[in-house]
Amino acid sequence: MTCSPTRPAVASRGPKSESPTVSGGAATGLRLAGAQTLALTRRSVVSEWRQLGNVVPGIVFPLLLAAVYTHQFTRVILLPGFPAVDSFLDFVLPASLVQSVSFGATEAGTELARDIENGFFDRLRASPCMRLPLLLGRLGGAVVVAAVKGVLIIAIFLLFGAEIAGGPAAAVVLVVAAVLLVIAIGGLGQMLAIFTGSQEAVNATFPLVFTSIFMSSAFFPTNLMSGWFREVAEANPVTWIIDPVRRLILEGWSWADVGQALVVPLVISVATVTMAVVALNRKLSSS
Amino acid sequence: MTDNVVIEASGLKRTFGEVVAVEGIDLSVARGEIFGFLGPNGAGKSTTVRMLTTLLRPTGGTARIDGHDVEKSAAAVRRIIGVALQDASIDPLMTGNELMRLQAVLHGISRSESRNRGAELLARVGLAGAAGRRVATYSGGMRRRLDLALSLVHEPSILFLDEPSAGLDPTSRLALWEEVRRLNSELGTTVFLTTQYLEEADELAGRIAIIDHGRLVREGSPADLKSTVGSPTLRVDVDPVFLESARSVLIGFGPERPAFEGRCAIGLDGGAARVAEVVRALDVAGVTVSHLELDLPSLDDVFADATGRRLEGAEK
Amino acid sequence: MVASAICGRGMRRIVARPTLIMPVLLMPLIFVVSFTGAFGSLTRVEGYGTDNVFNWMAVYAAMQGAVFAGVGGASTTAEDIENGFFDRLLLTPGSRVPILVGTMAYSALRSTIPTTGVLLVSALGGLRLPGGPLALVTVYVATAGMASAFCLLGLAVVYRFRTMRSMILIQVCGFSLMFLSTGQVPIHFMNGWLHTVARVNPVTNVLRFARQGFLGDLTWSMTWPGLVALGAMVAVAGSLAAHQLRRLAA
Repeated sequence: MTCSPTRPAVASRGPKSESPTVSGGAATGLRLAGAQTLALTRRSVVSEWRQLGNVVPGIVFPLLLAAVYTHQFTRVILLPGFPAVDSFLDFVLPASLVQSVSFGATEAGTELARDIENGFFDRLRASPCMRLPLLLGRLGGAVVVAAVKGVLIIAIFLLFGAEIAGGPAAAVVLVVAAVLLVIAIGGLGQMLAIFTGSQEAVNATFPLVFTSIFMSSAFFPTNLMSGWFREVAEANPVTWIIDPVRRLILEGWSWADVGQALVVPLVISVATVTMAVVALNRKLSSS
Repeated sequence: MTDNVVIEASGLKRTFGEVVAVEGIDLSVARGEIFGFLGPNGAGKSTTVRMLTTLLRPTGGTARIDGHDVEKSAAAVRRIIGVALQDASIDPLMTGNELMRLQAVLHGISRSESRNRGAELLARVGLAGAAGRRVATYSGGMRRRLDLALSLVHEPSILFLDEPSAGLDPTSRLALWEEVRRLNSELGTTVFLTTQYLEEADELAGRIAIIDHGRLVREGSPADLKSTVGSPTLRVDVDPVFLESARSVLIGFGPERPAFEGRCAIGLDGGAARVAEVVRALDVAGVTVSHLELDLPSLDDVFADATGRRLEGAEK
Repeated sequence: MVASAICGRGMRRIVARPTLIMPVLLMPLIFVVSFTGAFGSLTRVEGYGTDNVFNWMAVYAAMQGAVFAGVGGASTTAEDIENGFFDRLLLTPGSRVPILVGTMAYSALRSTIPTTGVLLVSALGGLRLPGGPLALVTVYVATAGMASAFCLLGLAVVYRFRTMRSMILIQVCGFSLMFLSTGQVPIHFMNGWLHTVARVNPVTNVLRFARQGFLGDLTWSMTWPGLVALGAMVAVAGSLAAHQLRRLAA
């Protein structure tokens, strides 16, 4: 897939995407960047859709976990210090969502690594292609899928009796927070892809992401943990996202909680994507 | 079945769903022979070898190796055969030495003896220096040589080689041929060899069977096969505008044979003596000849005669 | 002879490329650390069975590691099939059963690595052996048995489908089976469908057998159901694998 300004963006499928014309100039540059991002996002979404089988584990597994924990922690929720819930199901909703979206989060990175491995990267180097659209475009697919998964999981939880005290608005916040988290992880994956050029290395981050979800307040309140583990969990950014979201679900709407739930993943995602762009630029300029 | 026949197949057949890969093959190979199985890609050579070496079950027909049925006495067959398949069957994480030792153990050879035999075989195929290195570092040619050494560790009396020199450079190929000849002449090893290289079949095999689209189309010694084609092939290159006139002239001198685009070829009745006549006849017809050659029959001609195609691919 | 050669080859490959064993070793360690850290408060719930969460979770993590080790053994075969080396093994004179046995033995041996790792880490976390040294015996027997069973199951799938990708199916199977058992909590903590599933799950018996020495004394009544479950799993998986191996040339 090339994106040199001398040729129209290849993945123009359907009426929505524009076919940028040839000339240069700053105004056209921005327009071009936008068009490329859109086209690449579309391509990335289509490819994810075609590999729907890959999406299934990301939905089934977290739901299985939630179901099992709900049925084996019925006495645990009665522990003094545990947030007031009718069922562990209410407690674990944010965790299941975060876990579900983390399943596809490294895809953007592995795809980039694959392109590097099979030589597309060299073609890129030979063309004055826009960097940011390339990275964002790939994340686009992961974002759309994450949003769909988020809505699906919330719907299933509600079906099984979970309640969201903060109402539909809280559900929206939950999905947006999860999507931002995907961008954050995706950016990290892309950075790793650029540094190592290896799919295997990027894939190896999945167990790390998986573990870091456990080492947070996702599956158990941190106030009931002890020792070094508690310190790690409290310092984990995942906790900083899950705690406010959980409060929105269990206690009701609060602007402070909304702020924390969205700002934390936003900051991280801006940081990782910026680092990915910097890494890409450095790699492309060093011959 | 006589005592002398060590490889015998009768009506051997193999289908994969709708596709018939091998259709009713009969063959018999005598002890001490080098038997060549010649055919293009996809003809069914490897499938036949896999059936004869118990790696694939025939869907029809029977085969016996030294009297043992390949289906009923598969274990016994595997004891007496050595096999080097088309894709070298090796583990890249192991060293040459380790693979030889493993192979020896699989065949029940004692530790000390396996060490000696392993070293000797590796030296014989020119891998003594690389024996301690991991196979992942070997070149393609080295892997094939190792594969051959592995197939010989238990000194089999019957050796199956599936396209042994595919991917080898000319020097390695010649070395391989030397080794095959030596195994056959010094140790009396029966060799069943498949190949798509005419030269290889011609050089090594005492008898050849030509297979195409899963069927045996010709069988015999190289000399006999070539003589069935009879007359030498006369090939004439002419300008396209003269093609038809050239063809009509040449047909008067012998039957037409398959040729590449822009060429005419016939089997020249009466042999080389008649070349002058042909040239005169073409001249009279006003045909300008750019190139003319006379070839004694080759195995390619035999193949072309039997199938209507060249082994290299031009259509009749 | 053949079986031990194949087992030996497997172990030598781990030495040749140690990264092969990394996931099998690391994941159970991650499990034991994460689960004991996150769910340490379970010991405060009445009826848990122990006051040290490591005593409960260590065996679960070790057995999970054994499942990975078992599947890994079958993956080696998948790799061999994909790169052609398996043909050479198939050309072994005589019966092909030693190929199966050798691969299974390799997996069982392999499982000692994550088991030992988990036990060492858990010891740092205060793991105790009320049942004495025999407690270790039950764990190693259980993990070897689980690794063998899942190796054989993996082989059955690999012989049938002949690709590495089919291994994911078994990984998921193994993980789910472990999860839907008394891995993390005792059975009387469970309710609903989970309670029913855990009760009929053979892994529950194996866990009880393996874990008993970490919770108290060893008794025959907690031992024999576990051994029967292990034996049954190995027998069923083994016959599936043997059947597929026989059909391999078809």
